[in-house]
Amino acid sequence: MAGTTRRHLLLATTALGLVGVTRPGHAATRIKLRDIYGRGAAFSEEALALADRPVQIQGFMAPPLKPDASFFVLTKMPMAVCPFCDKEADWPQDIVLVRLRRQQDWVNFNLPILVTGTLSLGTEVDEETGFVSRVRLIDAAYERL
Amino acid sequence: MRRSIRTAFLLGTATLTVAACGGRTVDTSAPRAASSSITLAQADDPYFRTGQDILARIQAQQPNTNHAKNVILFVADGMGFATVTAARILEGQQRGVDGESNVLTFESFPYLAASKTYSSDAQVADSSPTAVAMVTGVKTRNAAMAVKHTVPVEDCQASLDNGAVTTIFEMAQAAGLATGVVSTARLTHATPGATHSHSPSRDWESDADMPAEALEMGCKDIARSMIEIPYGHGFDLALGGGRAYFLPETAADPEYEGKTGRRKDGRDLTVEWTDRHGAGSTYVWNKEQFDAINPATTGPVLGLFDMSHMQYDVDREKDAGGEPSLAEMTDKAIDILQAKAGDEGFILMVEGGRVDHALHAGNAARALTDAIAFDRAIKTAVDKVDLDETLIVVTADHGHTLTINGYPERGNPILGLAAWGGEPLLGDDGKPYTTLQFANGPGALKDAPRVDLTNVDTTDIDFVQPALVPLSSETHGGEDLGIYAIGPWAHLFQGTVEQNYIFHVMNHASKIGQRAGAMD
Repeated sequence: MAGTTRRHLLLATTALGLVGVTRPGHAATRIKLRDIYGRGAAFSEEALALADRPVQIQGFMAPPLKPDASFFVLTKMPMAVCPFCDKEADWPQDIVLVRLRRQQDWVNFNLPILVTGTLSLGTEVDEETGFVSRVRLIDAAYERL
Repeated sequence: MRRSIRTAFLLGTATLTVAACGGRTVDTSAPRAASSSITLAQADDPYFRTGQDILARIQAQQPNTNHAKNVILFVADGMGFATVTAARILEGQQRGVDGESNVLTFESFPYLAASKTYSSDAQVADSSPTAVAMVTGVKTRNAAMAVKHTVPVEDCQASLDNGAVTTIFEMAQAAGLATGVVSTARLTHATPGATHSHSPSRDWESDADMPAEALEMGCKDIARSMIEIPYGHGFDLALGGGRAYFLPETAADPEYEGKTGRRKDGRDLTVEWTDRHGAGSTYVWNKEQFDAINPATTGPVLGLFDMSHMQYDVDREKDAGGEPSLAEMTDKAIDILQAKAGDEGFILMVEGGRVDHALHAGNAARALTDAIAFDRAIKTAVDKVDLDETLIVVTADHGHTLTINGYPERGNPILGLAAWGGEPLLGDDGKPYTTLQFANGPGALKDAPRVDLTNVDTTDIDFVQPALVPLSSETHGGEDLGIYAIGPWAHLFQGTVEQNYIFHVMNHASKIGQRAGAMD
């Protein structure tokens, strides 16, 4: 009985975390990571229509660069090697920089997660790290699937 | 308990002597009158008739002992038998026909042998010693390019001290044949690179990937080696990926904004290619330029369609610059080589390089669709060349840990959950499982229960198959592989053979070594 209660509490906590990033009246629209890009580096019409709006994207968490980071890279498929740490030519294009609203526990690179946040498109250089990103989810939170 | 069976054929009468345990001998040599006739209930069964058709076809096969003017070696990186079977089923299911009895183009070839793929120092090989085995006739160490097995990996001096072994492509270039290499991987990757590189490390793809002392000693990176082949005029064509390895770090990449080449020596090897080959030679990096090449008039062609590997076949349509398919590259390659070859003939390697990469990622869908694209390239070749004078060999370099498991119903989607009658089959943990799984790889969870796949679309192109042992990258497998062959001397492929035997058949059929003055 105690176990069931604890599980319910954990689920409630997760749900509350997600509610916090979804603005009233703007339910998060789900988009597949592979559908963000059209041909080459051009964004798809679907992604452009969702720019600056709350979205949900399923993917995997690339190993974060440092334990106390407030961001991570979301990948389409499990990717143990940090995309920022490998040869530049090997970087997959379809990755998303996730900036967390608040610190969350990291999960293993091959566990599917669902990230909810505001979709931000366009090239941007992170002031703190110097990383260049094309797609971001900001004010984000994630849950394990 | 030893049992021996001896058969002999005498004047149409079969003699079967069986010495079974205990020494009792049964002699069936004397003709015996039939005591009763038997009607074969299965005689009209389609499976029975198919078996008889195969028997008739194989009985009618005649060895082709012509000179192999041309040789084409198709290598699907990592395509073990499980991948072949699954690709066959998927290809059929995609066309709406029975997948299990479907036949891929290369599976219709008349001759087949099993290839033993271990390297000189490893039970399970990587792609460099296996490619070296096929193109030089000898095994070498894991991670080494075309050097003797006595050369330690990354030992530059040992490789320079008479450590190189000559490839059949170099012999062909010396003998005046037209030569080509095509791959969906980087042209500097292990399989295409082994046609010309004598680097003691497969990782030395550009000078930026080499230790300073190796550069000072005079070892060459793999991209540079391809441009500086000292035999004849080198390759007549090289089509694939790996553009960054040929461009200096000061050069902007033409396809990806903000990206550059990776060479630190300042050399632009694409310019050096056209400088070496002169008027008519060309360098292309996108589909439009590729399509504009006139095979009849062009000089040597270098095509580098991506900074790193080319796209998986299912992802090609999203490529910024546009990429030709493996079949399109094969088609043009043969046209170009035939135009150049004259009476001398040509030798071509075509690699489906990314079957391996998708398997490493645990992503069976892309591995199978790339294997199907590989088969389309083979069909293109078979339809174009004269098989009376062209030996085609199709094989893989090594296997992977993919398995086809459970008892799914005939016709069950090969990428789906193992199911019968629409109901998923369950493990002892009450959860369903996929027909395709890996022994290891990113699909395995560390110290966690299996994922419940009940509501997961396992046929999605991005799905990662479950695995047992957690590893960030799924590993190669060490099982034997198929060598499928058609054309002159293809009948020499039979039984279980060493992987380096492939070179010896290609050379025997074409006499390339002899024509180069390298072999008797």
